Amino acid sequence: MWSNAAVDVPDGELMRRLARGERDALRPLMERHHRRVYRIALAYLRNPDDALDVVQETFVRAFEHAGRWHSGTEVGPWLTRIAVNQAIDRYRREKRRRETMEPLEPGDHQERLGDGAASPEQQAHGRELGARIARALKALPERQRAVFVLRHYEERSLEEIASALGIRLGTVKSSLHRATHELRRRLQGVWA
Amino acid sequence: MSLRGLLHERWRTRVTLLASGCLEGPERERTLAHLEACPTCRREHDEVRALVAAVAQDPARTAEPPVALPFLVTRVEAHLDAVVRSRPWRWGWLAAGIAIGLLAAPIAVRLVERQRAAEAPPAPAIAMDEAALRRLERVLAREQAVRYLAEAENVLVNLKAHPRPCPSEHAHVELEEEVLRSRELVARRALLVDLEGDALMPARDVLVDVDNVLREVAALQSCSRRDELERLRREMDERRLLMKVRLLSRELLS
Repeated sequence: MWSNAAVDVPDGELMRRLARGERDALRPLMERHHRRVYRIALAYLRNPDDALDVVQETFVRAFEHAGRWHSGTEVGPWLTRIAVNQAIDRYRREKRRRETMEPLEPGDHQERLGDGAASPEQQAHGRELGARIARALKALPERQRAVFVLRHYEERSLEEIASALGIRLGTVKSSLHRATHELRRRLQGVWA
Repeated sequence: MSLRGLLHERWRTRVTLLASGCLEGPERERTLAHLEACPTCRREHDEVRALVAAVAQDPARTAEPPVALPFLVTRVEAHLDAVVRSRPWRWGWLAAGIAIGLLAAPIAVRLVERQRAAEAPPAPAIAMDEAALRRLERVLAREQAVRYLAEAENVLVNLKAHPRPCPSEHAHVELEEEVLRSRELVARRALLVDLEGDALMPARDVLVDVDNVLREVAALQSCSRRDELERLRREMDERRLLMKVRLLSRELLS
């Protein structure tokens, strides 16, 4: 279905095309980055529907703000920064509307977090683990959660996290320590 | 906290960074040496390593998006279309384009007639498989319905959020954007979604529900009474409309 001609086009060229308003460049860019953006959003928000919305908003913003992208910077971290900010914004909005929001079917999103290739036992274990981690992550303050997700789900270096979140390196270190300490306390027994 | 306690707190941060794979060079060596001498930090290091290993098994790390890439691309493009349509100056250009088109049409028709008269044999008609045509129409109808639902969903989600209060009137809320977008969607619905067609027959009930709610929103004032909004929200909740819209969009693209 997708045009193979765009497969070898570098990210930077796709960004320049987006900046010129060429929508065709969206598809190959999304093809390369949408899974990563989805996983960041899912790790942060723990809800597949919200994560999909973040993917949509991230690429809408990438298109609208492509002109602000500097050719010297990598596209991946630039998209990560947009995605994290979108996830934080969405989390804040969800927090405000939670009381009125119609819940999805119970357990709806958790069912889809399991690995389809795993055995039923592994899937059940994965779901339970995922649910416990989700609860523990949700209890963290926004910044600590973002730092932890970028380190342990996206495997970004501390410097990259500082750049993505626009905070100092020392703050990243202390946030990661606090987040880890709190998760360790909340997830006590998961690995026993 | 004592000086000894403060120093130890620093080591704890380094131990976390070490167990998280973030320390390198001399700092890493110093922290490893500290672990040799400090059983408390060693235990903490082991626990953080265990936490990191548990997080590595979280299904969210390897989760695939629940919908295919074409659906996501369609959503992004639909959103960009909606943004473009909502810009009034674009409407101005569109109106100008239509006016120019209307003026130029009679001239174009005459030119085409002259050219046809000059051409010797008429071109053979392209044979079109009837079944393929029907499939194409069906796919197009579904894609348009998904775009319509994506835009409608944005309006419905905004209605469920806490809107800003109107500065001038007590117990009123600001709904200008939702009202305008609903009016636009109601006006375009007949063009985008054919409720009587076969392609969307199974989706008809949800599409009618969505249309009804959008019509109610379109009839509101930009600054509406809060209880009117609450009534709409209850109606949406009773019908579980947002969930149905999301499920239907996936169904249509599957």
